[in-house]
This record gives sequence, structure tokens and C-alpha cells, in this order.
Amino acid sequence: MLRSTHKPSGNAPPPLPPGWTEHKAPTGHTYYYNAATKESTYKRPGLAEIASPAPPPPPIAGANPNASFLQHSAIPNLSNPAAANAWQAQFNAPPQHQQNQRGGFGGRGGRGGNDRPRPQPRDKPKSSTPIPGCEPWVLVYTKYGRRFVYNPTKQASYWRIPEKVMKGVIELDIKGIQDKATGDKSASAEPTTEPKDGDTEMAEAQEAEEEQQEIGSDYEEVEVTDSEGEHDDDNGEEGEHKSKRQRTEEPEEEEQGPVEFSEEDFAAQLQAMGADYGLDPGEYDDGDPDAWPEGAEGLEISESDSRELFKDLLADHGVNPFSPWEKLIDEGSSLVDDPRWTVLPNMKTRREVWEEWSRAHIQLSKERRAKEEKKDPRIPYLAFLQAKANPKLYWAEFRRKYRKEPPLRDTNLADKEREKLYRDYIARLKLPLETQKKDLSALLRGVPLKDLNNKTPHENLPSQLLSDIRYVSLQASVRDPLIQAYIETLPPPPEEGEAVDDEASRKERAERRKREDALREREKAVEEQKRRQRRQLEHGRAVLREEERELERAQHVDGRKGIQSQLLAEREKKGADAGAEGGDEA
Amino acid sequence: MPAIRTHASRTKKPPAGFDDIRDDLEVFNIKMKDAQNAPTGNLPKAQAQWPIFQIAHQRTRYVYELYYEKDAISKQLYDWLLKNGYADAMLIAKWKKQGYEKLCCLRCVQTKETNYSSTCICRVPKAQMKDETKDIQCVNCGCRGCGSSD
Repeated sequence: MLRSTHKPSGNAPPPLPPGWTEHKAPTGHTYYYNAATKESTYKRPGLAEIASPAPPPPPIAGANPNASFLQHSAIPNLSNPAAANAWQAQFNAPPQHQQNQRGGFGGRGGRGGNDRPRPQPRDKPKSSTPIPGCEPWVLVYTKYGRRFVYNPTKQASYWRIPEKVMKGVIELDIKGIQDKATGDKSASAEPTTEPKDGDTEMAEAQEAEEEQQEIGSDYEEVEVTDSEGEHDDDNGEEGEHKSKRQRTEEPEEEEQGPVEFSEEDFAAQLQAMGADYGLDPGEYDDGDPDAWPEGAEGLEISESDSRELFKDLLADHGVNPFSPWEKLIDEGSSLVDDPRWTVLPNMKTRREVWEEWSRAHIQLSKERRAKEEKKDPRIPYLAFLQAKANPKLYWAEFRRKYRKEPPLRDTNLADKEREKLYRDYIARLKLPLETQKKDLSALLRGVPLKDLNNKTPHENLPSQLLSDIRYVSLQASVRDPLIQAYIETLPPPPEEGEAVDDEASRKERAERRKREDALREREKAVEEQKRRQRRQLEHGRAVLREEERELERAQHVDGRKGIQSQLLAEREKKGADAGAEGGDEA
Repeated sequence: MPAIRTHASRTKKPPAGFDDIRDDLEVFNIKMKDAQNAPTGNLPKAQAQWPIFQIAHQRTRYVYELYYEKDAISKQLYDWLLKNGYADAMLIAKWKKQGYEKLCCLRCVQTKETNYSSTCICRVPKAQMKDETKDIQCVNCGCRGCGSSD
């Protein structure tokens, strides 16, 4: 039901002088504003001697600082009479009257001390549009976007639009849609006519309501029933009762509030407001614990959770895992201020968790370091030299000046070496540019094709190049184009197979070669042995054959005859020889 | 004149991993220097050296925990630290023994230095003290109690 703001005439305050408008502050106080003089007051102007009905006391600054601020900040908006009227239309019910009226709903009786009106959705007429074609009738829009038709002459209003007016309303709707489509805002359907003075409009609404009741049997037009009103009211009551918070934003929120407040809307709004105040749903009670979002209720942190939280804290503050606990305590004021510091009950557990954390982190960093490739410590140092060294500084001065820099603290590089590099670098800076360029190209030529070729990205030059003083001593602006040009002239990287060949495959190949060599060796040895065997065999056979032949010869010369004949033969031979000699002599 | 020889190991560069703890050790060094240079004023004679003992203990404890408990430094680095005086090897040797896990300083277990051949008051467990609530500090190093059961 539209709440009536109808005031009994006997109780009505005297009318305001012209130019003054009546307003309601967000706190619920009524105040008066003169748009012409830009003056605002709590006292009812004009008739000061007539006691205004319970002139509201000025708001207590301590109780609600927002309220007074909002009230004054709201004033300039009202310099425009239309806006002022609209404002008035919303907030013109005097507090005592509201009190009476709300008593009917039974929710408010117990708390008389609180004179601040309870924020709750209240539907009110907002604007009216004459319906074309059916002249006396106007279409009234309420604040929440509902609408009803009203006949000022007959003082009748209906939620359900009568058939004779229906056509005009439809026409109006179509026109509104078209206007919207063309983007013509000035001709939009809603606030075409200025809303009337709030009081009269309210009265009309009230009368319309009464008429509804009279002719209720003819039109079953009541869409907003008492029960819903109570329903809304209950919700609002509950919300305020439970949360017991000042909701000063409420009036503004109401203006663009949803069309109808259902229970969910209220719950959602309550939650949103709780979020504004930084409260968890569990911290205020909206009487419906089931509807709280997950984990809203009293956050029970388990022990492991709190340990993890504390570890997160340590990690977030960049605590060095190698540092001693005392250092953490001495310098850890930022740690102590963090709310996560308090999740652990005492210092002992904190220390325990810290120990656990630092141990894990040390292990992690160890593993990471093991994975990282070994880098030449000279490279960062030389890069640093290039950035910072200049011939005006002696080595001692340079070292002193930059002793805190990591390249100068690196223990992998001896101080002597650093000094040597520094001196070399300074000396090279004094050389003519041409010489330096020549040196650089000599250096570039010295890099093997495997490391430097036309596929080498410029950011990823080989360390052999980066760690050379000849590379560093030339300015980057001169050096980089030179290197780029040189790289472009280079052939592509050598053979894919070779390019791929890494340590493992090379090793494997070496192994294989070794195996094959061993095999060959072994074969050779076996061959040798075989040959020797064969030779031995042959030798044996030869010896055997020789013996056989001897034996045969021996068999051939048999008995005495054999010997005699032999001797004879020998003798004959001798004789023949002698004869031959004699013959020669003769 | 004979050549001045520096200890070979002292000039040797520290093993890998020293970079991680250098800053913290430097903090201890600075603290120690400050303590050494602080005016003793009209402090009782025995108290003058308390901060020195305290810092030495803390630093030794730091190295001890890094090596024995957290496994954060290598054996080489640990040896190097001991050799270079960053930690007291004798004190660490005591900490490894049962009953001496929290020993504050070596003087406090030196029975030969006391009249009744007893250890220092700080070695007495809290539970065995006649007046438990009384706050004592030992004369040697200002320890408030270093019994293992405390």
C-alpha cells in the first residue's frame, strides 16, 4: 500500500512563507531552506512565535558527523525548484506524524528514544504525465517505477488502468520508447510535468487509496497489499534492529533503489553495507545465518593455516632466510605491525615456524643455484665497469665508491683481478677509437663459428666475447652496430648434427670409437695368433716331411750292399777324377 | 727485517655461499666493534664485558645453527668461518655435548676458577633454584640461566 502522508488538518503546521521549502535531513530532522537566499534553518521560518511542532534539535556532531555533512551538501541541489519539489515530495512527512503512522505496523513502539526515522523503502508518487486523448486523467509514476492512473477531477486513482484510458497509456508508452530511441532526453516520458506540491500529491495518493477501498469490488487493482508493506517493514525492522548501525547513505540509496524489495534484496543490501563498513557477514547478525556467504562465520583458522599465514608474512616482507632470528626481532617492526604476526599465539611458535620456513627456503635457493649455470664472474663486473668506471677515478677511489655494489662484492673474483681489469679498462678508454674497433674485429674473428654465427641473437652473445676487455671498452653505441654488421656477414651455424652435438653425444661417440678401436685391436691380435699357429703348423709339417724323406732315403740304402756300393761309387768317382787329371797332364 | 707473513688461510677467499651470510656477519662485526668501543663508565667491573660475551655467543650460535641445524652452509665454509674467527669452535664443541646445549660461555663451566669447584650460577636449572622467581645474572657473562632444561 502506498503509505499515506496525509496530515490531519488540525495538526498541520502553519504554511511556510513563499520561497521556503521544507526538507528532511538524512538524519530525519526536518529543516527549511530558502532557495532565493540560500539560507537553511531548523526553525520553521516566518511564524517563529508560534511554536513549531517540536522543533528538532540540531544533530549532535559526535553522534553522526556524516549526517550534518550530508545535509548541507544536499542543499545546493535544491536551488532548482523542480529538484527541490521532488526532494520535498520524498521527505515531507513530519516526524511525529510518521511516528503515529508507523505505530500501526507495530514494529516501532518499543524504541521511543530514537527519533531518527528508520530507513525503509517507501513508495511515493514521483511524476505525472497527462494521458493524451483522455484529458483529465494523468499517469503517475512512483519513485520505484510503478505507476497508476489518476483522475484529478474525480479524485480517483487506480493501479489497474481502466480500459478507456488504456489506449492513451499505450500511446504514451510508445512515444516514450521512441523518444528514448532517438535519445531525446528532454522529451522522455517520465518527468514531463513538474510534480505538484508534495503535500497535495500525498493527499491525492491518500484519497486515491480511500477511493480504492470504496470501489475495491469493481477493480481488483490492489497490487501492493498490506501484507507486502508489512513484509517490507519487517525486513527493514529486522535489518536495522539487528545491525544497529547508522545508515546515513540510505536516503540516497533509496532514490535509485530497486523496484520492489524482496527478502533477498534486503539480505544483499545488508551485506553490501556490511562490506562498506568492513564487516564480515558473521559480525553483524541479520538473523539468517544460512544465507551468509561461505566462510563468513567466525573464521576458524586452523593451526596449519596460521602457520602458512605466518610463512607468507615472512616471504612478503622479504626476510632473508639466512639471517638470524635476533635480526628479525630487532628490525622487524613492519613485521610486527602486520596482522598476520598475531595469528600465532606466542614467540616460541613464531620462532619455530620461522625456522621451518628458513630451512625450506635455504634448500630451495640451494637447488636453484645448483640448476643455474656457472657464469663467468667477470661478465657482470665488466658490465659494471662500463657503466661506472671513468678515467678520472683511481682504482682505490673507484673501489671505495662502489664497494657496496654486488659486482664488487662477488667473492668469485679476486680483488687483484678486479684491479687489473679496472686498470686495463681505463687504459683502453684512452686508446683511439680506430684501434679499439680494430681490436674488436680481431676479437670477433677469434670467436669460433659455433659460438658466433648469423643465428646468434644480439642479447645472447657468447661469454668469450662478453668477458673480454676489448668488447667492453668500446662504447655500446659504436660497438653494437659493428657486431651486428659482423654477425650478418657470418655463415649460418655449422652442420645441424654438429650443432646439436652436446657433451653427452660427443662422449657417446668417443666411447663408441674407443669400442671399435678395441675391437679392431682385438681382431688384429687374433689374426696374429692365427697366423702364428698356422706357421707353427706348417713348420711342424715341414719337419715331418723332412723326416719322412730321410727315412725313405735310409730305406733305400739297405744292408751292407748299400754301404759297399756307396763306397764303391765313391771310389769310382775318385778314380775317375784322378784319370781325368792324368789325362789332362798327359 | 723478516718478511711479514699473513696466515695463508686468512687471505684465502671464502668458499662459495659466503655471500649469503656476509651481511649478517657484518652486522655482528659492527655490533661487536660498538660494544668494544662503548665507554664502560661506572659500570661494575664484572659487567663491562657482558655485551662482548653476548655478541660472541650470538654469532657463534648463528654459525652453529647454519651448519648443524639448517644445513645452510658447506663444510668448507664452516671450517673457513671457524678459522677466521667468526665463531668459537670451543663453545660449539660444548654445545654438541648433552647437557650443554645452551651453554652461554666457556667461563661458566670452568670449575677450576671458582672457590668451591662449582660451575656458575647460570648453569643451575631454574627448577632447582631455591628462589625461582628471583632474577639472577651470572658474573661472567650476564647469563640469566643456560641449563638445558630451562
